[in-house]
Amino acid sequence: MAIDTVPPLIAAQLNYLLSHSPLPIKVEQMWSGSKNHGLLDRFTLVIPFCLDYIRWDVIYNALYPLAAPDIIFGPEDESFRPYYAAGEEGDLKSPKNSMSDWNCKDPTRLLSLILELRELYMTYQRKRVGEVEDERLKFELSTIVSREGIEMYMSSGIEKTEEVKFALPLLGVDINKMVTGCPWRQKQKIFLQVIFPVGRKYMSTPSAPRLKLVASPELKALFSIEDFRLPSWLDGMCMAEYLPILEGLLQSQIVDAVSSIDVRRKFIVALAPLFGRPVEADPVFCRKAAFLTSSGVFTFLVHFSLPLQFPKQQPGLMLQSSQHFNPSGAPVKSPVITEFPWSPRWESSEMAERFFDYLVEECLNFKKYCNESLLQQR
Amino acid sequence: MERTVAQSSTPQGRYTLLPSRYSSEDILFCIDVDTESLVEMKVTGPNGRPITRLDSIKQAILLFINAKLSINPDHRFAFATLTKSASWLRKEFSSEVESAMAALRLLSADSSSGHADLTQLFKIAYHEAKKSRAQNRILRVFLIYCRSSIRPQHQWPVTNQKLFTFDVVYLHDKPGPENCPQKVYDALVDALEHVTEYEGYIFESGQGLSRVLFRHMCILLSHPQQRCLQDLIDIPKSLTKKSPTADSAPGEENPAASSQ
Repeated sequence: MAIDTVPPLIAAQLNYLLSHSPLPIKVEQMWSGSKNHGLLDRFTLVIPFCLDYIRWDVIYNALYPLAAPDIIFGPEDESFRPYYAAGEEGDLKSPKNSMSDWNCKDPTRLLSLILELRELYMTYQRKRVGEVEDERLKFELSTIVSREGIEMYMSSGIEKTEEVKFALPLLGVDINKMVTGCPWRQKQKIFLQVIFPVGRKYMSTPSAPRLKLVASPELKALFSIEDFRLPSWLDGMCMAEYLPILEGLLQSQIVDAVSSIDVRRKFIVALAPLFGRPVEADPVFCRKAAFLTSSGVFTFLVHFSLPLQFPKQQPGLMLQSSQHFNPSGAPVKSPVITEFPWSPRWESSEMAERFFDYLVEECLNFKKYCNESLLQQR
Repeated sequence: MERTVAQSSTPQGRYTLLPSRYSSEDILFCIDVDTESLVEMKVTGPNGRPITRLDSIKQAILLFINAKLSINPDHRFAFATLTKSASWLRKEFSSEVESAMAALRLLSADSSSGHADLTQLFKIAYHEAKKSRAQNRILRVFLIYCRSSIRPQHQWPVTNQKLFTFDVVYLHDKPGPENCPQKVYDALVDALEHVTEYEGYIFESGQGLSRVLFRHMCILLSHPQQRCLQDLIDIPKSLTKKSPTADSAPGEENPAASSQ
């Protein structure tokens, strides 16, 4: 008889974890430890680590609600044994930790346990990386070990080659403070992920590591990580040389990205005398603006979307009728228009005038397009 | 009157776009489903079928939602109806068009209600607005009212805590000896000024034309944090060719801003 509910004490701890965790931890699946009661007392947590994810199974027992859960780590981490001090059998002085001091009624406990274990896991991984017998890796590690916020991970396994992965936070500067009116609730971060193969043999020119930039998702309103070209890793380079070059480049591109906000802003403001006050525009990143216009009794919306590379890259333009509807009741929209007169060298006031002149003609085509799409529906 | 003024005009009313608060909206539609919502519009539908006010209202709301989501897919919508008082039609705010369509399908006219009390609507809005603010959103109540003789009332206290914006669309019969749409309109304006946080807009029409209703809906797309005073609304602007001046040569810039 499956009940399919989560016992309340467990639910309280899990909900607290999901809503208060400083890291975006997710639940991947939940299941019951027993066919008899059907209560969901086990689940898998997906925990961000080193710009990737680790999965830990949290095993409660619905029949013993007072007991702390067991945590099962990944198959690669058999040697990760937190809370097992050396010589623990009969050792009276085992350290107090979240497990030994468990309080099932305290909803904050699961989160503290997981965060504590994650810290211990970080230390465990650091130790593993430190023990690797690779002179180059030992050297690289020594040059970055003092950086704050680094995570590292050693992946091994019978089928995989051994690799060491580093996640390095870049740029001490607070990007949020650079943007006036910044709406981001959390500090935006950019990380470099560096993956070195572990090579025990001596190589005359060690191969370049794999490099990837990762940023928090909200940053894309201002700056595109995907479009950023990583500087090349030259032969014989090391992280101590590469990182300052990368950070210098990143810093200057971000400064440029911040000043381009005002270029977009100026364009939107230049449209207003001709197109009227926009019904809505993005006042912080200036990526979008929508205007209501008419041609005779035909009233329609003009949507501008401004790419990060504006004005080098032209705006996107789309028209939306207020009077023509498709069968599901949605107003007819034009496809995104790209064929209009455009030059990045024009002043914003001239750009606005050219758009106005273009749309005086184009809206007649759009009206025809709308009427035709209605005819096709009959 | 304590009114939060939009940050996007110079004192002369020229448009500026200063970096400012820009919250996604939670928009609560409250649709009057009194029998007067079944009054027929002037235009007929395909095959000459009559279209009621309620039919046009449903279409207008879909237009609004689709347009709003084209501008910013983060805005959300919920639905209530007004008979003697307000009650929920669909309580959860959602940004899914499908969800709005499902809610609108449930919308049907009721019997004649007699009076209209907005107190419950304002109570609901006040409560929801607190939740919206906790998520960095702003709440807007959008009332669509259809009665030509019944002035809406309310017992909402005077308060400095104005937590939501209030917009109204009023569809009515032509004024005559048997009705008082002007008095109804004035009562709606009073209610608006009493409760609205940002500048609220009110539009009315007795013409029975759907396209006029749709046009008003589009003006109401205006984001409350970026609005000018209703008296200064300059949209929609007309896209007409500027007439060439007598002396202009090809390539010469015409300094006129626009022609209307």
